[in-house]
Amino acid sequence: MTRAQAVWVIYASLAGALLFTLLPLPMDWRGLRPDVATLALFYWVLALPHRVGVATAFTVGVAQDLIEGAPLGLSSPGLMLATLLLLFNYQRIRQFDLLQQSLAILVLMLLSAGIEQWLRNGIAVPAVPWAGVAGIICSVLCWVPIRTILRHSRRYYEVY
Amino acid sequence: MLTLLCLSILFIFRDHSRVTAVQRGAVDAIAFTNKVVLAPFDAWDSLLDSVRSRTALQDEVLRLQQENRVLKGQAQRVASLLSENARYKALLNSARDIEDELIAAQISSVSPDPARHLVMLDKGAADGVEEGQPVLGAEGLIGQIVLVGEYNSRALLITDSAHALPVQVNRSGLRAIAEGSGDIDRLVIRHLAATTDIRAGDLLVTSGLGGRFPHGYPVARVTNVEIAVGDAFAVVSAAPASALDRGRHVLVVAQSSQFEGAIAP
Repeated sequence: MTRAQAVWVIYASLAGALLFTLLPLPMDWRGLRPDVATLALFYWVLALPHRVGVATAFTVGVAQDLIEGAPLGLSSPGLMLATLLLLFNYQRIRQFDLLQQSLAILVLMLLSAGIEQWLRNGIAVPAVPWAGVAGIICSVLCWVPIRTILRHSRRYYEVY
Repeated sequence: MLTLLCLSILFIFRDHSRVTAVQRGAVDAIAFTNKVVLAPFDAWDSLLDSVRSRTALQDEVLRLQQENRVLKGQAQRVASLLSENARYKALLNSARDIEDELIAAQISSVSPDPARHLVMLDKGAADGVEEGQPVLGAEGLIGQIVLVGEYNSRALLITDSAHALPVQVNRSGLRAIAEGSGDIDRLVIRHLAATTDIRAGDLLVTSGLGGRFPHGYPVARVTNVEIAVGDAFAVVSAAPASALDRGRHVLVVAQSSQFEGAIAP
């Protein structure tokens, strides 16, 4: 295993993606905001599975909870499970073309959102209505641009 | 391990002092980051403000002066009514109402979670804000404080679907529970007998029961009473008195005289 290189790029991009969550949107449009932080996390898991894994997913989930003011630990389990599945299958998903990759991301996001809903119901926190699926579709549409941006920055800074 | 940690925090230690300490600390950190993220937008707004035309400002001053005159007129009546009320209460030998202590705050951001109606206020423990205090908008009650940081706090709006508050119909004195519907412009009252005297246009005010919200603040106006044939209960919809998605200035009721010496709920 070679030495870690420019790992800060990973964390900077995740932090930047979390900041995107803070941009203001009208109350009724909040559901359509693409979940950039999750997409960035998935990209790094795919690109550098030896650097970014379940622990990072846990951290991103906790950060999301704190930003949303949700009970701690609401987002993490879903993200961790999706990350685990990515870690098992990253070699296969890397070979997919962009459409197939987007579909794989869709499935993973639905899975993590589903687990979050389940937990929300379990602790009586209001669940996102079915319209929330529109938000996930918005997120999946953002997969290709985000993947491109992060791939360029990964190559530019030679993150490893 | 981490999954176990998550689940145990969620289901067992949700109100543990360390967990809430983390959340309280995060309130300030997030409010600060938010300010930094929004700084360019705010700068643009203030630039636009500074180049607003003189006539527009004059118009606004005129409008505000008129409004002020009207309000002063109304306040005179309120003052006389208050003193009258105090005299009656003295006659009845009951406690005198002291004015509620209010903290002026601004809504600095809205939680990104689309299922919740949570907002961030720019006043915190250092300003005297505490958890459970009611939050007022321009025309009535809008929510309550749920999480307090040192300089910022989070408030839950009355339309959040996890929120419910005891209200009273101003016209008839009927008591009910108004639940949030998850829509920003609608509250719901369930479990009212279909024969109850409640009509569209009725004003709902806080009833003071439950000991959290002081009595008498306007909450919502009934918009629709739906009685399905054969149903025992009516479904009543109401629109919040204060537009919850408009305006940034709110008041936190820091201390209400009504509950002094009352037994905590």
